[in-house]
Amino acid sequence: MLEDKLLVWQFNRGSKDALRHIYEKYKNDLVTLAAALLTDVSSAEDVVHDVFVCFIKSSDRFRLTGSLKGYLATCVANSARNKNKARQKRLSYGLDEADVVSSNPNNPDAAVIFGEELRQLSSALSQLPYEQREVLLLHSYSGLKFRTIAGSLGVSINTVQGRYRYAVDKLRSMLNGEVRK
Amino acid sequence: MRPTDDINRLIKKLQLKASADLDRRVRNDINIALAESQKTDSAVTQPNIWRIIMKNPIVKLAVAAVVIIACLIGLSFWRTTGSGIALADVLARMEQVKAFRSQWSQWRTYGEKMTGEDPNKPYSSEARDTWSGTCLISQEYGFKGKIEQLDPNGGESTFTECYLSPDMKTLIIIQPWQKKYRRMELDDGWGERWRQKFDPRTQTKRILEYKYESMGRATIDGIEVEGFRTTDPNYHLIGENDPNIRQVDVKMWVDVKTRLPVRYDITYAWFDQMGDKIIEYGHYVMHDFQWDVPVDAAEFEPVIPDDYTSLVVKYPAHITEETAIQGLKLLVELLGKYPENITDVGATVLRLAEKSETPAAMRLKEEIKGLTDDEIGNKLVDFLMPIRGLAKFYNLLQWDKKDPAYYGKTVTPKDADKVLMRWKVSDNEYRVIYGDLRVETVTPEKLAELEGGLPK
Repeated sequence: MLEDKLLVWQFNRGSKDALRHIYEKYKNDLVTLAAALLTDVSSAEDVVHDVFVCFIKSSDRFRLTGSLKGYLATCVANSARNKNKARQKRLSYGLDEADVVSSNPNNPDAAVIFGEELRQLSSALSQLPYEQREVLLLHSYSGLKFRTIAGSLGVSINTVQGRYRYAVDKLRSMLNGEVRK
Repeated sequence: MRPTDDINRLIKKLQLKASADLDRRVRNDINIALAESQKTDSAVTQPNIWRIIMKNPIVKLAVAAVVIIACLIGLSFWRTTGSGIALADVLARMEQVKAFRSQWSQWRTYGEKMTGEDPNKPYSSEARDTWSGTCLISQEYGFKGKIEQLDPNGGESTFTECYLSPDMKTLIIIQPWQKKYRRMELDDGWGERWRQKFDPRTQTKRILEYKYESMGRATIDGIEVEGFRTTDPNYHLIGENDPNIRQVDVKMWVDVKTRLPVRYDITYAWFDQMGDKIIEYGHYVMHDFQWDVPVDAAEFEPVIPDDYTSLVVKYPAHITEETAIQGLKLLVELLGKYPENITDVGATVLRLAEKSETPAAMRLKEEIKGLTDDEIGNKLVDFLMPIRGLAKFYNLLQWDKKDPAYYGKTVTPKDADKVLMRWKVSDNEYRVIYGDLRVETVTPEKLAELEGGLPK
């Protein structure tokens, strides 16, 4: 990714334009990923915002080892996971009624985040266990390799592949013939 | 197709757009965080020298506010209806001045407001970049300037010194806080443009060119002055060529006794790409003029300590028509075609080059293999230099209002008789670069004929 190499090089040297360029280039993909993970657009935007705040602060020490898109997607996934854990904790203590609604897999809002055309898919995604949804989206949407996902999650590659297979099977069964249209 | 592929295909269709609110939040954070932390030099700076100078802001809100108050504190006035000063006469007097000193302040507030909102109303969240400085301009010896950036947290201010030679071809910038300096060889246009930013004569000429009005009499720092103001929507802000800068408000105050300027206040709004939101306000004040001061040649000689190192300045120093042609040539070699626009090139070109299989693109991809990230960055910056030069050439044409146009969207390298790019040379002449990069000067009538044949 020549463009990203140059942008990161400029970003390391304090270029505001490069940072804006990076944000503009990846913002929609990252919001989409976070929204699909959290089934909530507002929380998704908070996650992307947090990720960019951290990214901005890392300007002088950030080193790109893989793809920039993959790096940012991993950051979003990590932040979304933390948010999801916090949400689950609040749920278990019955502290947050609003979160109870937004994390309900049958919540109609969660199903229509991505519009009518993808209503069934988004509904089905929201019903997958979080760990499976995460692996599926990082691999299929963000293009991360299983090995990379395993590294960022701290689990084995077999576990990641297993979660992916389960996710695909469940989605297929939930969508029935939809994917063949 | 396997079902897994179908699932993947469907998932790839997911697409949300980041909201305007997220855009605003992240942009503000970018402005604030980088302004606070940015102390490193950017070697990839475009040749907008004003921005090179302003590249290292230390912004903290509290003292920025103090700076603003300090700038405004001296301005108290009462008005009369009288008006007896001719602005052209003021300019004539200014032109006779051999040397003068002045001070200036500039600050920018970031945020977002809808069109028509009160510019003085505070933002819900905002950041400020603030600079101030002095300058000494001599017809005989050139330009000397000092720029100060205050650290509102009580840290040391950073100072930058600039020296422009009388022929306006050499600019030296010294950054003591980095123990570094840059020496830039400029073409005529660059030095002139740079000086204009600080030169009140240029501002006065500019006001005269547009629709302006008298603001009547007032008193500034005990001096009786007469004010002039332009809010002409066509006003072209000196030092900026961004079409998103609008709502320029220029005020100038002239001493009624000496008929020389006492102060200039310039405010402008920077709109987003859609043109419906103001994302930045700029304020520029020139004040405390000392006209016809005695100067010594030694004052204009930069003193660079031995332990200062020279910064690498990477930009095309001489921007000419040939620079533009070299840039277009490289684009064709790299992409096999002309890009749709040439003002937002650079990193974007690399995205296109990634997919390109031209020999030049393949060679570039091959050459960076095995290099470190730093080496790759340096190589890419060098590689893109002609293309950046092209973009800058076009920007300068826009800046100088030379009626430029570019037709890379429809014109290909094979279109030897089609206009790829053109700009005005004089009232009777246009310069034209054809698709095959041949260059010709034509009359406006001939240009109209050529452009009439372009695909819509």
